[in-house]
Amino acid sequence: MKGTFSWKWAVLALSVAALVAVGCAKKQTVKSEGAPGSASAPGAITEAPVKEAPPAPVAVAPATPPASAPGIAVTEEKLSQFDDVRFDFDKSEVREDGRKACGVVADYLKKHPQAQMQIEGHCDDRGTAEYNMALGERRATAVMTYLVSLGVPKAVLSTVSFGKEKPLDPGHNEGAWAKNRRAHFVLK
Amino acid sequence: MKRSIGAAAGAFLLALSLFPSPAFPLLYIDINAPGGKRMPIAVADVVVGPGDPSLSRGIPKILSDDLVLTDLFDLIPSTAHMETVTAAHFSGKPLSFPGWKMIGAEAVVIGNVEVGGDRLSIEMRLYDATQGTLLLGKRYTGTPAQLRSIVHRFANEIVYTFTGVRGVFGTEIAFTARSAKSRGKELYIVGMDGQDLRKVTDNRSFNLFPRWSPDGQWLAYTSFRTGTPIVYLRNVSTGAEKEVVRFGGSKAPGGFSPDGVWLYAGVSQAGNSDIYRVRVVGGAMEKVVEGWGLEVSPSPSPDGRRIAFVSDRGGSPQIYVKTIGVAGETRISNGAGYATSPSWSPAGDRIAYTARSGGRFIVATVAPDGSGSREVVSATDGDCEDPSFSPDGRSLVYTYRKRDYSALKIISSDGLRQRTLVSGLEDVGSPAWSPGR
Repeated sequence: MKGTFSWKWAVLALSVAALVAVGCAKKQTVKSEGAPGSASAPGAITEAPVKEAPPAPVAVAPATPPASAPGIAVTEEKLSQFDDVRFDFDKSEVREDGRKACGVVADYLKKHPQAQMQIEGHCDDRGTAEYNMALGERRATAVMTYLVSLGVPKAVLSTVSFGKEKPLDPGHNEGAWAKNRRAHFVLK
Repeated sequence: MKRSIGAAAGAFLLALSLFPSPAFPLLYIDINAPGGKRMPIAVADVVVGPGDPSLSRGIPKILSDDLVLTDLFDLIPSTAHMETVTAAHFSGKPLSFPGWKMIGAEAVVIGNVEVGGDRLSIEMRLYDATQGTLLLGKRYTGTPAQLRSIVHRFANEIVYTFTGVRGVFGTEIAFTARSAKSRGKELYIVGMDGQDLRKVTDNRSFNLFPRWSPDGQWLAYTSFRTGTPIVYLRNVSTGAEKEVVRFGGSKAPGGFSPDGVWLYAGVSQAGNSDIYRVRVVGGAMEKVVEGWGLEVSPSPSPDGRRIAFVSDRGGSPQIYVKTIGVAGETRISNGAGYATSPSWSPAGDRIAYTARSGGRFIVATVAPDGSGSREVVSATDGDCEDPSFSPDGRSLVYTYRKRDYSALKIISSDGLRQRTLVSGLEDVGSPAWSPGR
């Protein structure tokens, strides 16, 4: 880009300079005080010291240590003996195939009253992360509600949404997306 | 752009005869005129007293790169400069303005730097070469590590002088990217010029949805590092953190009120996400929007009176606007397809969002009353999502995604100029532009 403008501007600049020369000559007869030397006197410089940013008006006391320590391992796919419940795009209704999977989970939980089950809600990677985070929560909750309707005590169930952050299949096609729109059962 | 020299010289003379002292600047750039001419500007080699001689070209390089990014200036290469600026020019000796005009410069920047130990002192001046007048002069002191931010500040002053709108150099963009090792997501920050990329979190879980406080000192974000999502405030310079929202299931901060008192967030309870706001100090929480749909992504207006948010109450996610404390919400997206992630412009006149068109996600803007919706950027081979306005409202940062490739890009709000800000990181997303510096 630097090579292209110089010609154009050189030509323009000459014509502009000519016009401006006229303008300046006229101007200085009007503005008799405005000699360039006085305008650039050192006194015209304002001081603007650069310091660290001003103190935050929002006073927040640090309540937790900096998050440098590794967190709980939430990023790994947890193995499950139960099938995932799958969903349609942007939907959270438990389909017929999902009800079958929920039935297996419900039978297990009724036979193992000590067990605690976490239901993870997941989405495919299309669309906005925030919306998918809420959609995953709604999917997990829909499965929880269905399990409760099958007679599972609510107290043994919990939900967490991972939105679109934890895809089972990293692909970008309908097959992968269908696998990723799911509720995943994890015994705690 | 209106550069009032040639055509306006006559008008200026006329104005002079009508008004004894003209109140408007001679050199002026109209940033609202698309595709206008750029102002030719020369940035002279900086005079270096004691200190690193490479600064002589190094400082003009930082400044020139900034000015080029605005698309408002044409830089006259230093090889064309005819006058060597010396220390005397900072103590009364006038520049040879005819020489600068001859090479096409309408504005000239000169600088003088002195480095002593861990302090540096820079004096920068901006002249109108056509009139030979000093438009702007600043003396900065700081540490050598602050050099870039000092030069960015002066670049902002130059932009302000010619446009009336402060520049955005030195501002930063927070975003998320996937860690190849842990498969988690970490927060990152990068300068708006693409420099100074750094990782903010490193806890190998999911760290999502960064949002800046109005003073630019804090990031609100959601972290899964304890196993369940919690919204934290993190001080960007010290790393100190504070928990702000533990209540509910899924949760995502949307934005702060302009006075920094409230943090707006979408929070799920019993599978139903609503919009809440929480007092940053004290933690008191109140519900702002509720409904049977999913309500997420609150973006406060610059005057703090309204929020734009997403709700799927009508069957698909759409953008709504609500006045805080007043019943009723107005849908401003067209009701079809998929509209998410609203971001209110700093002037309050537009709301950018992600729309769905022809099977692709695109970035569009719309007036807060739902009128005048228009596309800003789309790609034939991928998706453009998650827009966030620059503090001057002239640009938007957004996510570009094509299969496994993703990048952050910046586009002018008129959709005409675009550049890549970050590429090479995996699965980047949720960019948030910091407030002005």
